[in-house]
Amino acid sequence: MKVELVTWREGREDSVTFEYQPREEGERPMALDVLLQARATALPDLAFRYGCRNRNCGICTIDVNGRPRIACRARVRDGDRLSAPGTLPVVRDLVARRDGVARQMRGRLPNGVRGNDLDVEAPEDYHALTACIECYACLDGCPMHARNFEDGTERRDEAGAYRWGNPFSLLKLQRIRLDPVATEAQKADALANAEDLGLDACRTCPGCKCGVGINLKGKVVEALLEAAEV
Amino acid sequence: MSAIETEWRDYDVIVVGSGGAGGAAAHAATEAGARVLVVSKDPIGCSDTKIAEGVTTVRASAEDGDTEAVLSENLRIAGGDLPPPEITRAFAQDTEDAYNWLRRHGVRPRIDQARGTPRTLPIPLGGHAHRRSIGHDNGGLAFGHAAWNAVVQGIDYLEDAWFLDIVTEPGADGPAVRGGIVYDAIRGCFVAVRAPAVIIAAGGLSTLYYPKTDTMRGNTGDSYALALRAGADLVDMEQTQFLPFCLTAPPSYEGLLVGEPATAGFLGVLRDARGKVLLDAVMVRTRAECSAAIVRAVADGRGTERGGCYLDLTGNVKAERSGVYYKNFMETSLAGVMSTVRQALGRKAAAFQEIWEVRPGAHYAMGGARVNEHGSTITDNGADNGAPAVRGLFAAGQAMGGVFGANRLGSTSLAEGPIFGARAGRAAAELARAGNSMADPVFETHLAPYRNMLGHAGSKPASALIRRLQEACWNGIGPARTGDGMDDFMAELSDIRRDADDAAIGPEALWNQSFIDAIELANMLDTAEAVARAAQDRPQSLGAHIRLDGPDASLLFAKTHSVVVRRDADGDWTLSHAARPPTSWRRLLGYAIRDRKRKAALKLLRLLPVAAQDRILEKRYRATMGAIAQPDAEAA
Repeated sequence: MKVELVTWREGREDSVTFEYQPREEGERPMALDVLLQARATALPDLAFRYGCRNRNCGICTIDVNGRPRIACRARVRDGDRLSAPGTLPVVRDLVARRDGVARQMRGRLPNGVRGNDLDVEAPEDYHALTACIECYACLDGCPMHARNFEDGTERRDEAGAYRWGNPFSLLKLQRIRLDPVATEAQKADALANAEDLGLDACRTCPGCKCGVGINLKGKVVEALLEAAEV
Repeated sequence: MSAIETEWRDYDVIVVGSGGAGGAAAHAATEAGARVLVVSKDPIGCSDTKIAEGVTTVRASAEDGDTEAVLSENLRIAGGDLPPPEITRAFAQDTEDAYNWLRRHGVRPRIDQARGTPRTLPIPLGGHAHRRSIGHDNGGLAFGHAAWNAVVQGIDYLEDAWFLDIVTEPGADGPAVRGGIVYDAIRGCFVAVRAPAVIIAAGGLSTLYYPKTDTMRGNTGDSYALALRAGADLVDMEQTQFLPFCLTAPPSYEGLLVGEPATAGFLGVLRDARGKVLLDAVMVRTRAECSAAIVRAVADGRGTERGGCYLDLTGNVKAERSGVYYKNFMETSLAGVMSTVRQALGRKAAAFQEIWEVRPGAHYAMGGARVNEHGSTITDNGADNGAPAVRGLFAAGQAMGGVFGANRLGSTSLAEGPIFGARAGRAAAELARAGNSMADPVFETHLAPYRNMLGHAGSKPASALIRRLQEACWNGIGPARTGDGMDDFMAELSDIRRDADDAAIGPEALWNQSFIDAIELANMLDTAEAVARAAQDRPQSLGAHIRLDGPDASLLFAKTHSVVVRRDADGDWTLSHAARPPTSWRRLLGYAIRDRKRKAALKLLRLLPVAAQDRILEKRYRATMGAIAQPDAEAA
């Protein structure tokens, strides 16, 4: 099986065709298996991220044929092209710089929630949102996130935080709004932060896609838009 | 030599790691008034805590009589009397506080409406005297999010940043922490951080055994190597927990977890390659007992081609009515595991109609930095065996040793992280208040060797040496050990060390993968050597340390000790023993009798006709899980 690996070194993109050797008959390898074998054979210093190999840690996201996939659970086919996530700046090979997304949440999250008895049941939608593995697949095609790169320049503040949000940051804020332990003030702050991060962009967007199947449009975006109307 | 800038920073406390322990440590130190910097090589919160099954221990959450003394004793007995009592007591005291801290940061259990408290698993996990393990939707993810929230909301951090070494200076009463040095891969610079306190919370060492492990890739033993190089003691390093039930195949799934002893249910058994029962009453056995049964069978030639055995859970669903409860228990308590089984072994296996091929996989390091109950590194200076080892050096979570000794009970590590993280965070903040004088030249001495590594024209890729070491670790210091095997391992280890000096390292400052591989290899070598030296020092099997060529250690009437490993300033290793107070033989006997009774009851149950099993089990399940609708009832 031949797979194209896109490398990025010293500001230059390059690509290598790697021939994967199956480890057992009929093996249908994952993208991560291909990267690991490439590092073990042809490209010993190939840079890529991975963690749990079990679709839980969210750090091995790459692009397969230009679309974000979680490498440890993305089966590859002959001729596939593996590259760094296209939604974030590449640092080296298949590694992109992720930290601008997290950093934008500084000061936008409560330092603990203290509004209610801890032994109160959370709504089902709250549990649906804790399934987020922070893979950042949802950044793909997001008009709000794209604003950070308008005119070809990246918009970060001094601490490295992106100015505009994305479905992930909205999910973090919506979780606070669904949390029965959060105070009303904390919930109001969450909504204000969603608006400040550019929630408006969602009004004309057909919707986002989650890497692990969370209904982002229904449970996050529409819920926030509806609250913002009031 | 390459041009790489050094950025200077000042803090009170550096926390290495951002998982369950690191997140809590950073937050507690900040709340206590310290200026904190978190340094994490993986993105914030992406840790073993995040990828765990999400089951945590909260004492007295379900049953009265679950006192601090009972939980503390459960830990010590499971741990072969190696855990110091002051540490297990601290654990037992703080489970509720730690859980409430997690809940303040977003962890939400299901609530038992009758009791008005979090709902626990219906069965006590092996070695626990009470039901006190609480499962969560989406496994450990919300625990990972809690660490993320606690750090990201307002604490300074560096991610994609490899913490290279702790900077210390010798003082009148031993070495003292002056700070640390960091390689920031995404900004392409070194960071020299002046700080009087460092908390090591950088996780475990299971990547020594990759791919036969279910944990994060980042577990390259950094915690232990950092502690060793700073001059701290390590304890119980021979005690690596191998979870008994991990997959052998297909290759993409190798090593992943598919169950706990408790999830074997009332009727689950282990079988050898020919189908003969290897171990019954699996449900009430510890992880160590099950792993030992598998590796001993494999060593005897009774294992499968891939070096495993079979976990047979089919008995649990043969009886119709109780089978419904078993399936519900598995799908709700271990949703992550069941999804892995479905993908890797197929639907019939996931319906418990086929047996599963399993092999132990590295999961957790019980050993680690020798600390007191506040996470402060301690040593034995002759007069005082609780004397500070390195002033200002702390460890928490998997990085620390002592909580679990020779075997860790299920659901305890998600509690350990925030319990000892918070303790270390508070203690470090207090120490930092005492002030500290800094000397920059000391940092340059520490940085120079790393600076010189960049652009090193060698002939060996460090990534290949890592794979060689991983294979050697599984064979030599893995779940089945022998004296000869460990001698061979030590020889291979020095070979790899020699080759590591010839590693080819690129000159680039930004995300230098060959440099990252080289520093992780160095950590893996130091940690593997600590494991091997401690393991060689224990000729008998004890807990997770299984010697195929030695007898089992008996706890009755025996003096117990932990093996202590340290390295002096010249790099020479020393080994010593720390005496541990034994549990009284009366208590041990009481436990042994209760244990025998539970096993006998399960053996008997297996001999009963299916209809009788069904009646008994339905009643038992119903008592803890409540009534579950039977499919036939729904159809009617």
